[in-house]
Amino acid sequence: MNDLTSPISSEQSNDASRLGYLVPAILILGLASIVAWLSYTQEPASAFLFPRLISTVMLLLALWNFFRAAAGKSKVGKGLTRTTWMRILPGIMLMAAFIFFAAKYLGFYVASTGVFFLLYSGYDPASHLSPKSWVKRIVVTIVFMGVVYALFTLLLKVQTPRGIFL
Amino acid sequence: MKLRLIASAVLAAASLTAAPIVAAEYPDRPVSLMVSYGAGGATDFQARIVTMVAGNEEYLGQPMVIINKPGAGGRVGWNWFASEADSDGYTMGAYNIPHFIAQSIEGGVKYSAESFEPIANWGADPAVVVVGADSPYNTIEELVGFATENPGKVTLSGAGLYVGHHIAALQIEKATGAKMAYIPTKGGGAAAMKAVIAGDVIAGVNNLSDAFRAREAGNVKILAVADLERSDFLPDVPTLKEAGFDVDNSSVNFRGVMVPKGTDPAIIEKLAATVPQMFENARVAKQMQAGGSPMHIMTRDEVLEMWAAREETLQDLLAGLK
Amino acid sequence: MEFLQYFGGVFEPTSFLLLIGGTIGGLILGATPGLSPTMAVALLIPFTFQLAPTQGLILLGAAYTSTVAGGAVSAILLRIPGAPANIATALDGNAMAVQGQGAKALHISFLSSGIGGVIGVFLLIFLTPVLAKWALLFGPSHLFWMAILGVTVIGSLDSKSFVKGLLSGCLGLWLSMIGYDDIQGAQRFIFHDALTGGVSIITALIGIFAIPQVIEMLAVGRQRQDIAAVTVSKQPFLESVKLTLSSVKSLSIGTVIGSFIGLIPGVGGQIAGLLAYDQTKKFSKNPESFGQGNPQGVIAAESANNAMVGPSLVPLLTLSIPGSPTAAVLLGGLLIHGIFPGGDLFDNHPEVIWTFINSMLIGQILMVVFGIWVAGYAAKVAQVPKAIMASAVLVLAVFGAYSVQQSMGDVYVMFVLGVAMYFLEKFGFSAAPLVLGLILGPIAEANFIQGSMIANAMNGPFEYFMMGSLNLFLIVLVLASIAWSFVTSRKEAKNAAAAGDA
Repeated sequence: MNDLTSPISSEQSNDASRLGYLVPAILILGLASIVAWLSYTQEPASAFLFPRLISTVMLLLALWNFFRAAAGKSKVGKGLTRTTWMRILPGIMLMAAFIFFAAKYLGFYVASTGVFFLLYSGYDPASHLSPKSWVKRIVVTIVFMGVVYALFTLLLKVQTPRGIFL
Repeated sequence: MKLRLIASAVLAAASLTAAPIVAAEYPDRPVSLMVSYGAGGATDFQARIVTMVAGNEEYLGQPMVIINKPGAGGRVGWNWFASEADSDGYTMGAYNIPHFIAQSIEGGVKYSAESFEPIANWGADPAVVVVGADSPYNTIEELVGFATENPGKVTLSGAGLYVGHHIAALQIEKATGAKMAYIPTKGGGAAAMKAVIAGDVIAGVNNLSDAFRAREAGNVKILAVADLERSDFLPDVPTLKEAGFDVDNSSVNFRGVMVPKGTDPAIIEKLAATVPQMFENARVAKQMQAGGSPMHIMTRDEVLEMWAAREETLQDLLAGLK
Repeated sequence: MEFLQYFGGVFEPTSFLLLIGGTIGGLILGATPGLSPTMAVALLIPFTFQLAPTQGLILLGAAYTSTVAGGAVSAILLRIPGAPANIATALDGNAMAVQGQGAKALHISFLSSGIGGVIGVFLLIFLTPVLAKWALLFGPSHLFWMAILGVTVIGSLDSKSFVKGLLSGCLGLWLSMIGYDDIQGAQRFIFHDALTGGVSIITALIGIFAIPQVIEMLAVGRQRQDIAAVTVSKQPFLESVKLTLSSVKSLSIGTVIGSFIGLIPGVGGQIAGLLAYDQTKKFSKNPESFGQGNPQGVIAAESANNAMVGPSLVPLLTLSIPGSPTAAVLLGGLLIHGIFPGGDLFDNHPEVIWTFINSMLIGQILMVVFGIWVAGYAAKVAQVPKAIMASAVLVLAVFGAYSVQQSMGDVYVMFVLGVAMYFLEKFGFSAAPLVLGLILGPIAEANFIQGSMIANAMNGPFEYFMMGSLNLFLIVLVLASIAWSFVTSRKEAKNAAAAGDA
């Protein structure tokens, strides 16, 4: 009847997609268990009253979710394909490197300019060989960072971390 | 390798000459002032007033920018200030006494009076006991009388645990021998005052400046001041001492600015000389007066003395209560 | 009708210039990621030192109204809600912008903000004495039930699965407990130093909404076809007016919920938008279109969060109790000019206070005018190539998260939450309930603890939390809300099963 929603799930083999939804269910169940365990073992008890309440409910819900996933009943959301993984991983790694290392050691502005340029260039559909598109990338980066500088540093006087560069 | 050698040589040369140059040029960019309470709170509000002339050439010559790091009665901000703030003179912090000393005695935080270097004090706000305008109690004696007959029945709202209000409540309980239920609120003095006005609690401990305003608006009665002398704002309200209860000024909320330990002594010296003058600026005084915020300017040496004295009295008080 | 005689004050040259400046400045500050209305107004306070009381207040009033609406701009165009008030706007507004209907989304967002805002200010003008009593009715036990009522909405909010919606909400509640416990100062769930300050709501909002969207754009990869795919449709202004005015149901739900929730000190504006959105969805004939770019979602959310502006000042002006952080900052703005709010404020300083209120009224209208004017250009953002957009949103998110408290720890939290949210969304968990849990957790907990402490000094928790007409009324609402979500989710599950069989 409603063919718009069904083709994706019917294409994949049933077992594989069930497994795909079981993994997050297990992870959530694990997290809920850790939270519950911490809530019931940490002191002082009076400060953990509310966490105990919440974590108990969370654990029950996580169990319910787990059994639904195990029964193959919880296929909401689109899931992830291998192609998607391959596309997003380099980007996520780049962002993580920027946020956890570069921002502090290189300085906020140098690192931001760098990550903006790399992320943009890396995912830009335009040719990586033509000098013209490289010029465009550099110009866009400089203009955008100029706007950010005007807004945050000049107008709002935010003091950004200074690494070995600005 | 070569690069690193050159870099370290440059660094070494720089460090030899750095100190005097840094102090002479300091500050050459805006200075941040960390406030451990949210925007709109009494500390934030006063910090914004007393720093408004920082950009004038005769003071810092650079604007001061307020950063709010609220949470857990100030613990979040001071933890950050003690462990993460740069000690380059560009990050200053606002302190609240007795709050941070009491919290460091109680434990579970990364700071103590040793972690900070005071620069100057700008204000002192005593704690007062308030009840709602329609409350049956008109004097502190009546309230204490009821509390003595009904142990634990008097609910007393305040801004949090181990802040000035809590210290005052502890001292009142100790001096009167009456057991009361202290109710810490989330959301600072304003939330504690709301609880009193709405009748959620029987009485409350609050800042003199806020209580003064609430009384002007006809919302509360102020029963007593937890200070050594009566306040100029409230000449008709007795101190707790006058009412016969042995409560001193340990709970008075002193506010001022400080830098993290390890800041260049030359910078501390420069700040200690200019910041009190900045607090004395006529425009600052006028705005503080208009807002009903009592000023109390102290120099670095006076603050160091006051911190040490508070540390001692709070040690005694909290040890006796645990 | 006393307010009419003070209208002249608003139109004096200096005042009117300040009003325009405050409105434009407020829109820009409100649209800046990481800058909540509270911080925006706090930043403007020093400017008012130089001004006469009336003029200072005009500036602050205009800024307050327009920052709340300005937050919708970044919510719609970048999916970064400027403040908790704009979360619900991001859900449908951003979906519209992505489909090229950004101008329409911005138009209706400003129009419904303006309508809600004007009604809210009229409530402030005419009903202040009545409303002040209502604001004080809510003690800790009632606020606790209010928060629980909000939590029960979680299961049905923007979620395909009842269990996963509730689970997302629980995750949010748990995140809200990380860091120092606000009342007792105990340390909870601090796995890393960056968490000592807890998860700040603004930071979390940026991460949870912006980062998944950045990753989503990266997932497209280096494809050429996406560049020209979006055509930004021109939106005739009159059509937007027609659409907004004909959405009576969404407008009235938004305005009513916004004004009454806005009154309650401590709960206020943060959840008004989300609750109005949820109610509109429940009363809608096709609830499944919400989240896909349904204009009604934007109208409900935006009329609610601006309707709350006027009433949220009632407790401040009459009782000197700031009901929200922004009101607290405004209180500061009054105090430095020696104006003490309270019952006799309207008698002692009528010219100041009425000019202030009038300026908010005019400010609402100016805000709509400027907002509509830039909408056409701003909507072109949807045409920006995905690679630039992803990089720009990332850098803005990092700067925004950092500038809230100038803390690198917040940036780490923002990014980790964002990446986690991307994967959670892929498996049917959703952002809106999680954020609602994050907002409501502290309110529920603080009032529960406070209520219990008061109750222990009185007649015990049962009487304190369960007795009294207001408590009972709220409990009934909670039960009704749970029943409703459960029944609807059953029905949907059945429909889905039927569709699957076919």
